Amino acid sequence: MTSKTNSDWRFRLKRFWAPVPLLGWLLGALGAVILEHIAGDPFSELLGLPKIPVLFGALVMLKKPLLIPSALIYVLVIYGMPLALVGRLCSGLANQAAKRLLQFSKPFSVLIHLVLLYAVLHTWSDLSAYRLLTLKFTLIAVMLTLSLNVINGYMGEFSCSHPGFMALGAYVASTFTLSLFVNDRLFGEALLPPSLGPFLFPLALIAGGLVAALGALVVAIPSFRTRGDYLAIISLAFMFIVKSLFENLEVVGGPRGMGSQPNWANLPTVFIWTVLCVWVINNFVRSTFGKALNAVRDDETAADAMTVNTRRTKMTGFLFAAFWAGVAGGLFAHVLRYINPSTFGIQRLAEMLAMVYFGGLNSVYGSILGAVSLSLLSEALRPLEILKWIIIPLLLILVMIFRPTGLIAFREFNVGNLIKPKIQTRIED
Amino acid sequence: MIFFLQNLVNALQWGSFYALIALGYAMVYSILMLFNFAHGDIFMVGAYIGFGMATLLVALAEMGAVAPPGWLILVLTIIISMFLTSFLGMLVERVGYRPLREAPRASAAITGLMIGIILETGNLMLLGAQRVRFPTLIESTTYDLGGVFVTNKKIMIVLVSISLMVALHQFVKRSKWGMAMRAMAFDYAVVPLMGVSINKVAQLTFAIGSALAAAAGILFGIAYPVLDPYMGIVFGWKAFVAAILGGRGSIMGAALAGFLLGFIEIFTAMIFPSTLRDLIAYSIILLILVFRPHGFFGEDYSARLRL
Amino acid sequence: MPLLQVENMTHYFGGLRAVHQYNLEIEPGQIRGLIGPNGAGKTTVFNLITGIHHPTRGSIFLEEENIVGLRPHQIASRGLGRTFQNLRLWRHMTVLEHVKMARYSRLTYGLAGAFLGTPKRNREEEAIEVKALELLEMVGAESFAHQNVLQLPYGAQRRVEMARALATEPKVLFLDEPTAGMNPEELLQMMEIIRLIHKTFGVAIFLIEHRLKVVMELCHQIQTLVFGEVIAEGNPLEIQNNPKVIDAYLGKDIVA
Repeated sequence: MTSKTNSDWRFRLKRFWAPVPLLGWLLGALGAVILEHIAGDPFSELLGLPKIPVLFGALVMLKKPLLIPSALIYVLVIYGMPLALVGRLCSGLANQAAKRLLQFSKPFSVLIHLVLLYAVLHTWSDLSAYRLLTLKFTLIAVMLTLSLNVINGYMGEFSCSHPGFMALGAYVASTFTLSLFVNDRLFGEALLPPSLGPFLFPLALIAGGLVAALGALVVAIPSFRTRGDYLAIISLAFMFIVKSLFENLEVVGGPRGMGSQPNWANLPTVFIWTVLCVWVINNFVRSTFGKALNAVRDDETAADAMTVNTRRTKMTGFLFAAFWAGVAGGLFAHVLRYINPSTFGIQRLAEMLAMVYFGGLNSVYGSILGAVSLSLLSEALRPLEILKWIIIPLLLILVMIFRPTGLIAFREFNVGNLIKPKIQTRIED
Repeated sequence: MIFFLQNLVNALQWGSFYALIALGYAMVYSILMLFNFAHGDIFMVGAYIGFGMATLLVALAEMGAVAPPGWLILVLTIIISMFLTSFLGMLVERVGYRPLREAPRASAAITGLMIGIILETGNLMLLGAQRVRFPTLIESTTYDLGGVFVTNKKIMIVLVSISLMVALHQFVKRSKWGMAMRAMAFDYAVVPLMGVSINKVAQLTFAIGSALAAAAGILFGIAYPVLDPYMGIVFGWKAFVAAILGGRGSIMGAALAGFLLGFIEIFTAMIFPSTLRDLIAYSIILLILVFRPHGFFGEDYSARLRL
Repeated sequence: MPLLQVENMTHYFGGLRAVHQYNLEIEPGQIRGLIGPNGAGKTTVFNLITGIHHPTRGSIFLEEENIVGLRPHQIASRGLGRTFQNLRLWRHMTVLEHVKMARYSRLTYGLAGAFLGTPKRNREEEAIEVKALELLEMVGAESFAHQNVLQLPYGAQRRVEMARALATEPKVLFLDEPTAGMNPEELLQMMEIIRLIHKTFGVAIFLIEHRLKVVMELCHQIQTLVFGEVIAEGNPLEIQNNPKVIDAYLGKDIVA
């Protein structure tokens, strides 16, 4: 009897929110961030908060526990209310709009959704430089987590080489931009006018990605003959070698690293590259070529006998993943505007692995979840200082014990399903 | 030639640390089929427990009427710390790895990483960020062996390490539990069918491995008295590489690989500028792995990290 | 012209001789059987011809092309399909995905299509899905199409493996103990499926089996392999009455 009533309220809750399409949620979120722009300052003053809570109140709540009720009220009113109201009340309109858009053209509908999403992110991050930085790093984390998931999840390896790929991308992209566009102590005079910069920036990132992909050969080729534990060591050795390489290359700053990269990694740029990354990787893993990664992982002999070119599959997987890690590295370098070899060591590896395994293996949704949640959590728990490094690992251990493959494993995007209108049906119990 | 011999002695010492730590990794890897990434940090904790013990004993000695010789304090420190650290190892096994015995090995690996981070953070919280100094228990005497200068510390470190390894080898070869461990390394599932508890073997494996790491930690503290909470990371990962180089199923292979790694590092530092040391050492290891992918003494199959 | 021709194939694993002077000729549309006691080397013969190992000596011709030294997926693409004795399935994939995967070599949309989702890729993916469903229907497993393959009963799993092998559009199909572990009802179903495949596609079949009922009823020609050597070859009647074969199976019940 009790269990029925429990699942009953959960069921009713689900039914209440079910008719809201993605478009509705995005509009609600947009309403929320606009409200924050208009009323955020006065409202937080009213509540006695020192300023607008930058990270959904988490930081305020941890630093000044007395303000917890105020922070909660803020979050509920400014974020929760518009989201719920606009989302639920306008769901009819939103569904109509979603239907019309989809009928008009699927790519166009996707574009509108992306523009809305960007508008939400831009408006939200506009209020604080800290928010902007956190957002950018989170988006980059999504790229890194997703690309690592291709190797560790879809291909089933345990690769420790990702910080190495990231480093290659970061250094190559930085060398590109610094030597060509900036007067700096490492490379001397700029060779091209800085106005050309933002247009050639994508080239710098791609160059970084390609070099990272080239580096991936060091791990991909041994993977033909061995896998599992030995490949893990080879990838680990690769990471240490790359780190040590840059420590010894005085031309790129050696242990002191490189700084003052031009400020071209703005939010639109990072957003577009992230969307591109998610889209391309999602396309790939849903195709038969992508599923071949799974077939090689689960039984290579059978895959071979079923006409799958196992070497090409492994090569593709590693190089493709490394490319995106390199691009993410390049973006990272230009967001932080300083890199040195120690940025790309064991600490970075642990962070990336945590995001992949926490969010979910072999899963696009999982990677996004893992990257976003751990990035935000890491920021939100900052006031706890060193305690943060007990809480986050503990959380991860709990997830590993209770859901060893991660929170949302084995789940891809189906874009069509995401943007389609939610039809109101009569619910049969 | 003298130069070579001098470095040989250094390499033996340096390699001992790697070998002792690698043994712990190799045991867990061979017997329980998993990587314990917290092992390097257990080495660190062992060193710190040793530091605590030694400081305590020295203080007691100074207070009390008895004045035990330095080497006695050292022996006591080693024994007690090995004992205490083995409990830490057993705790880690019980809390972190036993629940994950049926889970994919990669999940256990991540758990190990996280436990390691918790150990490091715990140390930082308890002792703060400043480094601690291991008390000097033995006066350093240098012997001149035909131009090669060897300190008594170096000799002691190498001797203690080798004796521990020999003891381990005898244990694994001759004792009942040692046989259980070898059986489990060979065929994991059969062992409980023969009436041996996997849990007990697992606990014993972790206990022994952790004790050896603690010994390495204390010996390291004797040679390089300044300890810091992150000392386990560098050593841990390198010893891990050594364990894999030695090959799965071969505990002694790991020890040998540990010494080899020590040799590679010391001798590359001898020939090349020291900043290149890591680069060259790892490149050599990479080459070895590419051409001999199953390690030196490992069986010719590769363990898969199955999802 | 024989479809598949093996000449004097000999293989050593280290010092152990696994296969000795093995010869085989399969004509198009023929159904051939390979029987023999356990450990005779039957699966090794399969593995050698399908490219998992390279034979120490001998030559193998598929449609007059020498395939020794080619990698298994290349041989598979040239028309040699197979199933496995121990059912090699992909534990995280659905039934439909298994069959679709075997169409890998037919895909032409390349990496560009895979990354960008081009119309060409969508068309090809849909085409292989249609084809996969057809094959599943043929083996009677289409109702399981979207289930994870591990959830299926054993007999259904074997049928899925069959459909998967068929998806490679083989000219010769190697079946390694297709009825192993089946009860009498499943066994009859499997035999029907094999007959249906043979009738529909005209594919040549090479069959390893322990169930002599299956071999005797389905095969045109049978080889008996003992310790890696063929000791007898002929049609079912000849094999049944061959004293050497009876001797090799000394005391063994000829039971379905």
